[in-house]
Amino acid sequence: MARFVAKRIVGAAVVLFAISVIVFLIFNVIPSSDPAQNLAGKNATPTLVASITEEWGLDEPLPQQYLTMMRKIFTGDLISYEGREDVNERILEGVPATFSLCIGAALIWMFFGILFGYLSAVRAGGLLDRALTMVAVTGISIPVFWLAAIFLNYLTYQLELFPSGTYVPLTENPAEWANHLFLPWVTLAIGFIGIYSRVLRSNMLDAMNEDYVRTARAKGLSEHRVMSRHVLRNSLVPIVTLFGLDFGALLGGAIVVEGVFNLDGIGLYTFESLVNQDLPPVMAVVVFGAFFIVLFNALVDIAYAFLDPRVKLGEAAR
Amino acid sequence: MSAALLSVRDLRVRFATDGGHVQAVDGVSFDLAAGEVLAVVGESGSGKSVTAGTIMGLTHSPNARIEGSVRLDGRKLLDADEAELRRVRGDRIGMVFQDPMTSFNPVYRIGDQLVEAIRAHRPGLGRDAARDLAVESLDAVGLPEARRRAERYPHEFSGGMRQRAMIAMALALEPEVLIADEPTTALDVTVQAQILALLRRLHRERGLATILITHDLGVVAEVADRALVMHEGRIVERGSLEEVFYSPKDPYTRKLLGAVVRLDRAAPLRPARGTGPLLEVAGLVKHFPLKRGLLTERKADRVRAVDGVSFSVARGETLGLVGESGSGKSTLARTVLQLLAPTSGSVRFEGREIAGLSRRQMRPLRAEMQMVFQDPYASLNPRKRIGQIVAEPLRLHGRATGAELRRQVEELLERVGLAPEHYDRFPHEFSGGQRQRVGIARALSLRPKLIVADEPVSALDVSIRAQILALLADLQEELGLTYVFVAHDIGVVRHVADRIAVMHEGRIVEQGPADRVCERPSDPYTKSLLAAVPVPDPRESRARRASSDT
Repeated sequence: MARFVAKRIVGAAVVLFAISVIVFLIFNVIPSSDPAQNLAGKNATPTLVASITEEWGLDEPLPQQYLTMMRKIFTGDLISYEGREDVNERILEGVPATFSLCIGAALIWMFFGILFGYLSAVRAGGLLDRALTMVAVTGISIPVFWLAAIFLNYLTYQLELFPSGTYVPLTENPAEWANHLFLPWVTLAIGFIGIYSRVLRSNMLDAMNEDYVRTARAKGLSEHRVMSRHVLRNSLVPIVTLFGLDFGALLGGAIVVEGVFNLDGIGLYTFESLVNQDLPPVMAVVVFGAFFIVLFNALVDIAYAFLDPRVKLGEAAR
Repeated sequence: MSAALLSVRDLRVRFATDGGHVQAVDGVSFDLAAGEVLAVVGESGSGKSVTAGTIMGLTHSPNARIEGSVRLDGRKLLDADEAELRRVRGDRIGMVFQDPMTSFNPVYRIGDQLVEAIRAHRPGLGRDAARDLAVESLDAVGLPEARRRAERYPHEFSGGMRQRAMIAMALALEPEVLIADEPTTALDVTVQAQILALLRRLHRERGLATILITHDLGVVAEVADRALVMHEGRIVERGSLEEVFYSPKDPYTRKLLGAVVRLDRAAPLRPARGTGPLLEVAGLVKHFPLKRGLLTERKADRVRAVDGVSFSVARGETLGLVGESGSGKSTLARTVLQLLAPTSGSVRFEGREIAGLSRRQMRPLRAEMQMVFQDPYASLNPRKRIGQIVAEPLRLHGRATGAELRRQVEELLERVGLAPEHYDRFPHEFSGGQRQRVGIARALSLRPKLIVADEPVSALDVSIRAQILALLADLQEELGLTYVFVAHDIGVVRHVADRIAVMHEGRIVEQGPADRVCERPSDPYTKSLLAAVPVPDPRESRARRASSDT
């Protein structure tokens, strides 16, 4: 276990380094992105631009700039170009909205993804399977921004069933919290439900042909027990991998959904920073997001060891 | 004979497939009396496993049409509803399957899987009582330290232990009937001998009625009272072992018995061969490091797959390399051909050292030494035509092009007993035996001097096996080929080899002329290997058991 943790920490450091360097370079090679010019405003004098360049250290060599920025991310001193805000503070402010959105959506998509996948597999080839397949493919195909716009137009503005976005803290009013998040949850979850149910269905159909399933039937177990204990249980292992990757990535900010529903989370902040070519927040969010992806990958591996006893943590694959 | 415990009447199973109907079982009738061991013998596709599955109500496919009757103690099973069938499965009829590696669910402990089976039928039994029963059952099949082992997962068991556990699970509730579908086929021969002895003991102690499904006549002779021979869904022969083995009436049975390669029959004498060695291997070592470490992979330990092996093969000779799974025989074959780089040691081909040659240096030599693989299903690219597969080595080595290439390939196909028209067909259109012929044609295309065949017949049915062995012998005669023949079945090896080398744990424990090694083995491991091979001869088998099994 100690070896596993050590390996993961080293791996995380390598990943964070690589990603942050790439983002940093992209920002520095795209044209018309002189932050000093942006900071100084439209009618800035060259003197003002020069003094800002000096103040922010924008004339230093790139590696030096990179190191300074990374140091500031970890010490909490990072200031955005736009509005000169404390970046880490802004990200922390966005955490409740983003986490509420992602965790809620994840619960919804896991529940319905597994339910639909299970029903499809058990009734493979039947009417229910075909109906669910259609639903799943539709869900996968619908672009999130379009679905969000449709929901807002019909369910919020015309029927006035749900409030229009904005985040109400859970501690303030739990009912309103859920009410405000309901549409964003569904919007975010629908595509994942489609993908997860399709993956689970095919995993289960493969598992049904396994010898141990025949053994389970020959033992005289009920069909329900064969399906749940032997087929579903073994088919969930790859779903866990998928979930770890998707969920970790989402915590870095569900940019589109937060943007459309005006949820003041990390995604919305990222979106605004990108529009303003505001490098410091983007760097911080990327590092923050990459951290969650690495963390959830490690959690997936730990979950694997519980789900599949043949997997031993810390042993190199043979 | 008492009234039948299990009675099958006119059983027919038909599957609808894309290519029309397949009559898998075609009017099968038999009775199984209490306390009797009935062997159902047949080759792949004969319908024996479908018959067994249908008795248990496990032939689920919506494409299957089942007719006839199956009665257990007079109660109809075929028309019974699912709940009734569930009560029979596991409780009154236990079943053991072929592959113990895949027949347990890998994510649950062995003990829990037994407990699950027990509690499915004895819901009133407490968890602890069910566990005690499971441990008792594991103990009864000779699993040492059963209580501790019940806490282990399937992958922590060896193949033989898993099959014991599978038998324990089938017998935990003391069913009246046991159906064993190829229970020893996936096991090494010494482990097979143990499992067969276990089945005999359980049968003796409990008077369990058993249906033993197998393709191996040796296994039949070892344990069965009566035998049915199935061919293309029908029973073509039935009777006592004496009748089936010594006075078979059906031509198919006679063919099956004639095709069996027997360990105790010497191969036909062949003219002495050998004009100097073609291949000399000295002190060959192949270790696989077990990698561990954080960033740098330091070598923590290693698997000694081949551990100091020396032998030589004369021109025109066949060396048989025998060993059980994990003995290192396949690794040795690949290391000799430089498909794996040896850790140390020397391999000389026609006097030239080839160990450590680069890929580029090896390339011209590759034409001289070819390999035939075990699985004719996996070793042919399913998307390529037979002609392309056989032509590929010729093209790669620039030996022929265009019409000349096609002519050479057609000639090769004819030489291995296929027709030139087969050129444009795909592998899936061929049977296992035909595919192996394609594999042999491919190996022959460059006119090699040495052919290393790794278990070339172990995936084939006995009757096909005999044909492929005959083909290999003819080709050797015609083309003066030298073979290294790798196999786990010492009976097959004796049939084809001039000399035999026995491998065990990475070393050659014994080598010498085939007859000498088989008749007067000197190494204890060779002796145990030979003793474990079942003899397809009921009288001899009984005599052998009488001296050892008491």
